[in-house]
Amino acid sequence: MLSEILIIVIRGIAIGSIFATIAMSFNIVHGATNIFNFAQGNMFILGGFAAYFLANQVGLGQWTLMLLLSGLLIAAVVTIQGYITLLPLRSSVEQDSWLISTVSVSVIVAALLMITQGPFAYSVSSIVPSFRILGTRTPGAYALAIVAMLFWYFALRFFLRKTFIGLAISALSQDFDAARAAGLPVRRLQLISFAISGLMVGTVGFLVAPVISVSPDAGLKYVLNGFVAAVVGGIGSNAGTLIGGPLVGVVAMLTAYKVGGAYQDLASLLVLVLILMFRPQGLFGRVGARRV
Amino acid sequence: MQAATNIQTGPVSMAETKPKGRFNSDLTQVWIGVGLIAITGFGPVIAGNSYWIHTFQLVNIFIAAAIFQNMLFVDAGQKSFGQGAILGLAAYVTAILYGLHGWSFAAASIGGIVAAMLGGLLFALPALRVQGFHLGFVTMSAAIVFPQLLVTLDKWTNGINGISVTVPALTNPFVLGMSPLAIAVAVFPMIALFVHYGIRRSKLGRSMFVAALSPEAARSLGIKPGVMRFVAFVIAAVGTGICGILYLPTVAFVSPQGFNIELSFVFFFAVVVGGRGQMLGPIIGIWIVYILPNILLAGFVEYRLLMYGCLTLLAVMAFPDGIVGSVERLRAKRKQTGGGEQAFRIDGFLADLQAGKTAREPSEEIAVEVRNGTKKFGEVVAVSAVDLKVRKGEVHGLIGANGSGKTSLLNVLSGLSRLNSGSFMINGVEATNLAADRIANMSLGRTFQAPRIFSQMSLWDNLKIGMDARVGPASADITALAKAMEESFGQDSATLLSHGQRRLVEVMRTVLKEATIVLFDEPAAGLSQSERTNFANLVKFLSRQMGKTVILVEHDLDLVWGIADTITVLEQGRVVSSGKPDVVAKDPAVQHMFVGSRHA
Repeated sequence: MLSEILIIVIRGIAIGSIFATIAMSFNIVHGATNIFNFAQGNMFILGGFAAYFLANQVGLGQWTLMLLLSGLLIAAVVTIQGYITLLPLRSSVEQDSWLISTVSVSVIVAALLMITQGPFAYSVSSIVPSFRILGTRTPGAYALAIVAMLFWYFALRFFLRKTFIGLAISALSQDFDAARAAGLPVRRLQLISFAISGLMVGTVGFLVAPVISVSPDAGLKYVLNGFVAAVVGGIGSNAGTLIGGPLVGVVAMLTAYKVGGAYQDLASLLVLVLILMFRPQGLFGRVGARRV
Repeated sequence: MQAATNIQTGPVSMAETKPKGRFNSDLTQVWIGVGLIAITGFGPVIAGNSYWIHTFQLVNIFIAAAIFQNMLFVDAGQKSFGQGAILGLAAYVTAILYGLHGWSFAAASIGGIVAAMLGGLLFALPALRVQGFHLGFVTMSAAIVFPQLLVTLDKWTNGINGISVTVPALTNPFVLGMSPLAIAVAVFPMIALFVHYGIRRSKLGRSMFVAALSPEAARSLGIKPGVMRFVAFVIAAVGTGICGILYLPTVAFVSPQGFNIELSFVFFFAVVVGGRGQMLGPIIGIWIVYILPNILLAGFVEYRLLMYGCLTLLAVMAFPDGIVGSVERLRAKRKQTGGGEQAFRIDGFLADLQAGKTAREPSEEIAVEVRNGTKKFGEVVAVSAVDLKVRKGEVHGLIGANGSGKTSLLNVLSGLSRLNSGSFMINGVEATNLAADRIANMSLGRTFQAPRIFSQMSLWDNLKIGMDARVGPASADITALAKAMEESFGQDSATLLSHGQRRLVEVMRTVLKEATIVLFDEPAAGLSQSERTNFANLVKFLSRQMGKTVILVEHDLDLVWGIADTITVLEQGRVVSSGKPDVVAKDPAVQHMFVGSRHA
């Protein structure tokens, strides 16, 4: 009984690591643009489809190459999407068109997948073998999910603090107008942040494809859980997502175990509503000084 | 009296030679909409085509739901992706109570509406605290979870098989070959249009709108933005719930697939494609988004979602105002009035207001008192142990360099931020921990560094939100002033006003509100020299003729010394000098401020 719970917690942490990585990919784009990409879940699923095609159809043997290719492909798609999303913001005073355009891109991607691939869930074989924890076989992709989360956390940390482009993106998120006035190429930096977010979900989607449902309608589930992870951790706080993601994952897995799999999304919704009601800045977020 | 005569300089020409075009075409659009709904609602019945009867019944129900989405989206600023779930909730609960438990349809419908309201509350509760994309995600996940629950809770819902119902009393012919249902389905979208129009014209509608566009401005006018969002969600839920109840006998069947997120997207996308905020938008939007893929291109049903997505993306990119919005923009551009120097002159109004009154000097009573007030932002101490007394009816200047804590102090006084320690009183009432809307209702008004002017509202509506913010009934003077301003500015646009005129609009809001204490945050910034002179006279007028207490944060020292009765100098959050202008001017502690100024 206890070991069962332990296994569920471990799997929850693993699934939650995926949510955490998606949450971090939200954060980098949000910091640079104030945009929340509603299509991010579908971009993640596209990474899963990339894994399926690269492994099963194209037959590229080298998985490192496939991983890189998958990441770059999704990065390219998200960059194009970012470009489209930013276009109307250039001229219009009304700044919430991004919400509509990212939602419609999300719908378009899901519809295209549905038309070309059908409503089925594709199974992808794992690149690493499964392993035993407490006597239970655990797919290797769960371990990869945690590794990917930690990799992206530290990679972003390094990038945002030590590289010129990363520092410039940090500057954008702290004071947009000052960064623009200082002569930073705002639009290019924003596109780079979109590209990085695509690289993140593309690689993670590739790695965890064996343990997720690679189907056209799965994207929404991941965009929502990623958002809940970001909110629980505090929007903008990558360190927060390391806690927020696994927390949401564990809640989802425990719900599936105790109540039923069909209630997973309901549990995430309740977590979201509760945190917004009682701690809208998230567990680790700060309340910013208001400018009037 | 000196001040008042000065204000009257300049031509007082309010005479309009040509009649103004309407500021917006809302009412016209409502009537066109009623006509279109009547054609699609009654036309097929008269023609006797049962396919079109059924199709347009569903279309009209969706139009009504999209109208409430439009109100929620634009008038209240709430992006909900979950209105389809609300509609489904009402339809399902009614179906369960009527079809499975044998309730009467009327009783079951009430159950359905209550369920829709509860669903709306789920959306609205987080809205009390947060807004924007947060709510987008909340409503979207609700729309995803809803059909899942319908399948899982099959004990109550029949699961994937759905529930079939017939309501003969509603679907049998009633008058002129039309069933009561057909009449209800044709009339309800019209009612929805009038409800939307009515809300937009009401105090509630204006308050929702201001709360959505500028929460700080709303709070400083006594509006609680969270409550406004809450109310909007509940109104939309009730309206959408009625759509769900009409849906049930129209389709005679409910199943989980009927209420997946696609339905919510249809309503949202219809509003965007048709034209956000336009009365006709949801009608045209549903026609395009729903009819085009589902009926004209019925052979390509699997491409439906793709078409929704592409149409909406195209709309955002190519014509962000939507179809109706683009047409309306052309019309409004041609008819727009309210530009130029004469667009907003208030001298005439003030002369009327002042007629027959004598000037008053400031009293010795205290209007605002801060005791040992400290405000920190993290480690930064913005206001440090400040003591301040402002007498009733005086003009009190707050000066100091950038970052000396003037605006922070002003924000504390208007309740937009709280003191970390110390206290302050307004008219002798403890106000330290009161929210901004409560303080606003204690007869306090303020302006902002960047004037909060809303271009979507007419110039008069921009002023009228000051009337809305009143606590008691208006005095005869103010009623007359409001009436005169409505006549002058009712159809004018606020878009073309200059910066100085925008500032005046904000000031007049506080006059209409009859705020007895007015806070000005750098009012002269961006004003021309002559505008500054006029403004100085206006402040004198507010103080001496209308008896208002004025707290003025300003960098223009000449202006402050010209009008202030008392001046308080802040430096790094502390009060370094305070007193009558001539005394402060000689204070050695503030001499360095006058370098380059004529007071040096």
